[in-house]
Amino acid sequence: MRFRSLFFKLFISFLLATVANLAVFSLIRWLAEAELLPVSSTRGAFSEALSLYSEAAIQAYKTQGLAGLQQFVGRSQRESGAEIYLFTDNLKLIDARPVPDSVSVVAREIAGQQQPGQRIARVFGGRVTWGKITIAPDGERFIFVVRFFLPSMRPPPPWQLSTSRIAGLVLTTGLVCYLLALYLTSPVKKLQSTVKAFAEGNLDARVSPGLGSRRDELADLGREFDHMAERISSLISSQKRLLADISHELRSPLARLSVALELARKSSNGKAAGPLDRIEQESERVNQLVGQLLALTRLESGAERVPPEVVSLEDLAQQIIDDADFEAKPLHREVRAVQLDHCRVKGSPELLRSAIENVVRNAVRYTAEGTAVEVSLISRLDAAVLKVRDHGPGIPESDLQHIFEPFYRVSEARERASGGAGLGLSIADRTVKLHGGAIRAENAADGLVVTIELPLAPAAAPVHPAPEKLQV
Amino acid sequence: MVSVLLIDDDAELSKLLEEYLQSEQFQLEAAHDGPSGLAKAISNQYAAVILDVMLPGMSGLDVLKQLRQKSAVPVLMLTARGSELDRILGLELGADDYLPKPFNPRELVARLRAVLRRTSAAASGGPAHPIHLADVELHPESRSVNCAGRAVSLTGAEFDLLNTFLRSPGKIISREDLTQAALGRPMSPMDRSIDVHVSNLRRKMGPYEGDQERIKAIRGSGYVYLLPGEQP
Repeated sequence: MRFRSLFFKLFISFLLATVANLAVFSLIRWLAEAELLPVSSTRGAFSEALSLYSEAAIQAYKTQGLAGLQQFVGRSQRESGAEIYLFTDNLKLIDARPVPDSVSVVAREIAGQQQPGQRIARVFGGRVTWGKITIAPDGERFIFVVRFFLPSMRPPPPWQLSTSRIAGLVLTTGLVCYLLALYLTSPVKKLQSTVKAFAEGNLDARVSPGLGSRRDELADLGREFDHMAERISSLISSQKRLLADISHELRSPLARLSVALELARKSSNGKAAGPLDRIEQESERVNQLVGQLLALTRLESGAERVPPEVVSLEDLAQQIIDDADFEAKPLHREVRAVQLDHCRVKGSPELLRSAIENVVRNAVRYTAEGTAVEVSLISRLDAAVLKVRDHGPGIPESDLQHIFEPFYRVSEARERASGGAGLGLSIADRTVKLHGGAIRAENAADGLVVTIELPLAPAAAPVHPAPEKLQV
Repeated sequence: MVSVLLIDDDAELSKLLEEYLQSEQFQLEAAHDGPSGLAKAISNQYAAVILDVMLPGMSGLDVLKQLRQKSAVPVLMLTARGSELDRILGLELGADDYLPKPFNPRELVARLRAVLRRTSAAASGGPAHPIHLADVELHPESRSVNCAGRAVSLTGAEFDLLNTFLRSPGKIISREDLTQAALGRPMSPMDRSIDVHVSNLRRKMGPYEGDQERIKAIRGSGYVYLLPGEQP
C-alpha cells in the first residue's frame, strides 16, 4: 500500500475519526452512567439487603439501647466503611453526632415524601447516600440513612476495557473504514487505469462499464471522461481515414502520370528524352514528398503509436548501413559501422528504420566525396546511443536547433543540389520522440554528428521474437 | 501476347496500363473490384495477376487469401508506399512479388517478366533431379517438398529459394544472389522482400531435430543453409 495514496489517507482519517468518536462517546457515557447507577440500586437485591441492614440497626437499638446502636454503627463503619445514621420520625439523630449535608438532605427528603416506604438514593461526591423509613416491630418509625462508597459498582472506565474488546472494536471499525475508503477510491483507481490505457493508445478504453450502477460525482467524472474519449477517438479515426484518403487521392494521379509518361516516351521515340526524364524525376520527388508529409502528419497527429515490440537496434543499424553503403558506393562515398553494441529498444521496427535511415541518408548526402559516414551504436546504462557522423561542411551553429523543423533549409543552394525534401530529419525527430528518446545535432571538427538516444527496453521485458524480416 | 489480369479500382490507370503493356507484348484485362477480380483470376486463363491491395469493398489481401485456396497463378501485388504491413502480409499470403504504388511501368514490366520467367522455367523442368539433403526431399518436377516426413506447402518464390539453398548447403549466399534466384530479378536497395521470403520458409520448414536452426542469417553477408550439427 502506498502511504501517500488517496485510499490510505481516507482509510486512516476515517479510522482515526471513528476511534476518536468512540472514545469521546464512551467517556461521556461512563460519566453519565456513574451518576445514574446508584439510583437504580433503590430497587432490587441490593436495596433489600440495605433494608435488612436498617432493621438490624433498629433491633440493636431496641434491644440494647443507645450503646447497642453505637456499637452497631461503629462496627459497620469499621468493617464495611458504611456510615449509618438513624433518625427519629421528626428528624432527630438518635446518637448525637455531626450529620453530613448529604445525609440530612436525604433524611429530609424521606421525611417529606408522599408515599412512605420509598427508598431514596443519591450520589454526592462519589458516595452513595441511601435512605428509607423503617418501622420497628413495636410500631415506632425511624428514618434510616446510610452513606458509603461503591467503587466496585461503577462501570469500569473505558481505558480499562479488556484488550479483546478493544481489538474487536478496532477490527470492526477498521473493516468498516476499509470498505468505505475502498468504495470511494475504487472508481478513482478505475478511472486512472482507463486514462492510462487511453494514453497508451487503446482508444477503446472506457470507464463506464467498470462503474456499474454508481450515480455519484465520481461516476459523473467517469462518464465525462468517456464522452471526451469518444470524441478524441472519433477525431483520431477520422484523421486516420483522411490520411489514407489523401494518400490514395494524391498517389492515384501520380500512378497515372508515370504510366502516361512511359507512353509518351515510347511514342516520342527518344526525341523528348531530356524533358521526359525531368518529368519523371519531378514526379518521383512529389511522390516522395507526399510519402514524407503523410508520415510526418501521422506522427504528429497521434495516430501512430509505439507497439510493445522489442527491436534489436544493432541488427536494424547493420541493415541500414549495408543498404546505405550500397547506395553510396556509386557516389564514391561509404557508410560503415564503427562499433555496434547489442541494444534492445521497445518500439516499431518500421518507424525506427525510417528514422535512422533518414539520418544516415542525410549524412551520405553531405559527406564529402571519398569519405565515409561513420555509424556507432553504444549501449549506455539505460539508453542506446546511436551516432551518425559525416565528413561534410557541417551546419552553422545558429541553425543547429532548427534542422529538425519541417522544410527548414540551411542553405538554399546546397539543399537543391542534394535533392532532399527537407522532411527526413523532422520525421526522424518525431519518431525518436514518439519512442521516448532524444535527437540532437552538433558540429564535429569536420562535419556533423547526429546523436539519437533511445531508452533501452527493460532487460526483463518479454522478448518478442524480433520481427523475422529484420534478421539479416 | 501474354494475358495478364489487373485488379485495380482505378479505371483510368487500367486503361493507360493496358495501352502501355500492349506495346510490351502483354494483353491486359482489368477488373475494378475484389469479387469480380477474384472470379476472373480463379478462371485460370491468365499467366499472371496484378493485384492492388487497396480495393473498395473486398481488400486485396482478402482476394489474395481466397485466390490462393484455388489457384497458384503468379500474383504481383501493388502496395501503398510505406505500408510495410500490407507488403509483409501479402508475401505471407502467397504473393510472388510486390511493387509499391505509384510505380514506374518499366519496373512493373520487369517484375512481371521475372515472375513469369520463374514460373515458366519451373514448368519447363529446369534441373529435374530431386534433391535429398538430411531430412529434406525436394522434387523439382512436381514442385513438392517433404521435410521430416511431412509435406510442406511452399509458394513459388519459397520453393525456388529452398532449391537455391539446397544446391549449396553450408555456403553463405548473398541476399542479391538469393533475390535473383528466387524472385528472378536483381535486388533493389532498401528491398526487404527476400528477408520476408526467407523468414516464411524458415517458419514453414521448422528447425532440425533438437532445435537447431536450418537457415542462419549472417549479418552483412546473407544467409546460409546449415546441415544438421553444422555451425556457420
